[in-house]
Amino acid sequence: MSAVEKLRARCRELLEKGETDIVLGYRAGRRNGTAVPAFITAAADCDRLILDESCHHNLAAYLPGLRHKGRVTIIAAGPTSRSVVVLLKESQFDRERLRIIGVNDPARDPASPVSGAVLCDEYLGDRAGTTAPADDTALAAFEAKSPAERRQYLAAELGRCIRCYACRQVCPNCYCPTCFVDASRPQWVGRTVDESDSLMFHLMRAMHMAGRCVECGACARACPMDINLMLINRKVGAIVRDRFGHVPGMSLDDPLPLTTFNTEDKQEFIK
Amino acid sequence: MTPRLLAKKDLGRFIAALAKEAEVWAPVKSTDRENCRFGPVTGAEGICLDCLQTRLPVKELFLPQREILFRFKSDSPARVKPVSDIPARVVFGVRPCDAAALELFDRVFLDPAGDDPYYRHRRERTALIGVACDDPGTACFCTAVGGDPHGTAALDLLLEDIGDRWLCRPLTEKGERLAAARGPAGKDDCAETERRAAAAREQMTFAPDLAQLAEKLAGAFDHEIWEELARPCVNCGVCTYLCPTCHCFDVTDEERHGRGARIRAWDSCQFSLFTRHASGHNPRPTGTTRLRNRTLHKFRYFPHTHGPLLCVGCGRCIIHCPAGIDLRETLETLTATLR
Repeated sequence: MSAVEKLRARCRELLEKGETDIVLGYRAGRRNGTAVPAFITAAADCDRLILDESCHHNLAAYLPGLRHKGRVTIIAAGPTSRSVVVLLKESQFDRERLRIIGVNDPARDPASPVSGAVLCDEYLGDRAGTTAPADDTALAAFEAKSPAERRQYLAAELGRCIRCYACRQVCPNCYCPTCFVDASRPQWVGRTVDESDSLMFHLMRAMHMAGRCVECGACARACPMDINLMLINRKVGAIVRDRFGHVPGMSLDDPLPLTTFNTEDKQEFIK
Repeated sequence: MTPRLLAKKDLGRFIAALAKEAEVWAPVKSTDRENCRFGPVTGAEGICLDCLQTRLPVKELFLPQREILFRFKSDSPARVKPVSDIPARVVFGVRPCDAAALELFDRVFLDPAGDDPYYRHRRERTALIGVACDDPGTACFCTAVGGDPHGTAALDLLLEDIGDRWLCRPLTEKGERLAAARGPAGKDDCAETERRAAAAREQMTFAPDLAQLAEKLAGAFDHEIWEELARPCVNCGVCTYLCPTCHCFDVTDEERHGRGARIRAWDSCQFSLFTRHASGHNPRPTGTTRLRNRTLHKFRYFPHTHGPLLCVGCGRCIIHCPAGIDLRETLETLTATLR
């Protein structure tokens, strides 16, 4: 039995035995080489499940929307599983109602250092481990720039933003009921694509990602304007690693760095 | 109007001649990425005709994503001075689907009952030079929605590839003037474009009965199928902002120290804020209701009000949907499900 056949059989079994209400996985898109997130509730539909390199979506983004929809089984490769860990730690989903079927990342994004699921109830196939993060020459080049050059780079890069919010919408971390850019009474951020508005959106969002972003790359893949969003995420990730020794989404037991006070936290900025 | 010929190697001179009379815009590749967009040009340099389509449709030159409608001072009676400093423009390299969308825009923004002066001004001051498609992409379906890979809607001049030259088909007086300096084309050249157009049409096999679907959609508002269709949707604005026919906008006043501006910016029916009332009530509170609205607007409400569908089959929403939703599949599912 191939891996995908095993996956289908297991999901069928879970639905038939009534151990889960929804399977959150992938099905084939209409166009060759594309996948669509699938929400399967009938055992007979499990044959539609696929698992190949087109399955790049971070399925954890759908979990907050399924909070009141019964017991969920999620197919989770490394990036999705790390986002699941973050959501569980932030009390965004009930662990009791979640079954995680771990898989090795079929769409292995070089941006993600993790291929296999870090948290699961059962694993499909041989579990891939954690590999070292790839050399980040782009981040090193960015850090070598002067503050003025960095600002110029970000303004040019983010200047292409069309404020479609695809980055925010595909992000499992972005589950706020009202995003700060959607606050309208009063309006906090302008709704245009002026430099000030776009920078405000992206840099505020980056701040909100600190200590939480698992660098899955979903935002960058979703961006229709090919903005290098991962540079910003990696910079924030590097700061958190450096200051708190924390890599988000690797363990349920790590304290969340930005909501936990520790007397050993670096505080040389207090002068 | 006589078809004329333009050698591809003469494109630089052709553009340079146009640039003497008007601002010329064309698809330009931005550095180091695939993302092509309309930008100003003065010659052939930088123009990208290899890309099937620009990431953003040509609509951004007629309904800019953000524009200042007028400025005001809060301590004096409003003095509305419309901005109308658009220079004469020629847009080169428009695909027939994108141009066809402007005819749909015209129905909305050039309504005799109250037209939009900003849009009208831009339309009147702009000539459109189209480039026909001989090799449609995997998401293209213009033929299913009344379009054609060699379509001429809204264009002044259509360029059709015949090897190392383009056949230039003038469609308006403006177009005739633009091509006036070119030599006439022969019968064989015209036959070649016909052959290529037929071959391009054959590549697009999606052919649903959308008139019948529009009828079915009339009674489909409360159907449960919408929930299933909307499940993978993440409610971003990609499909609407990249759509050549989506034209909804928001108007905000920005004021500081007694001076302000009224700003129009694109808005999307996929956003919760789009329909949120001042009371806090939202008649479209869920992703399901918003996806339903977009589908019904394009395939039921707009044809009901204006005649044509509000879709030109460019396929951008299909290619760039972060969730991989394919509008053609949505239409197929609706056709199969609705009675």
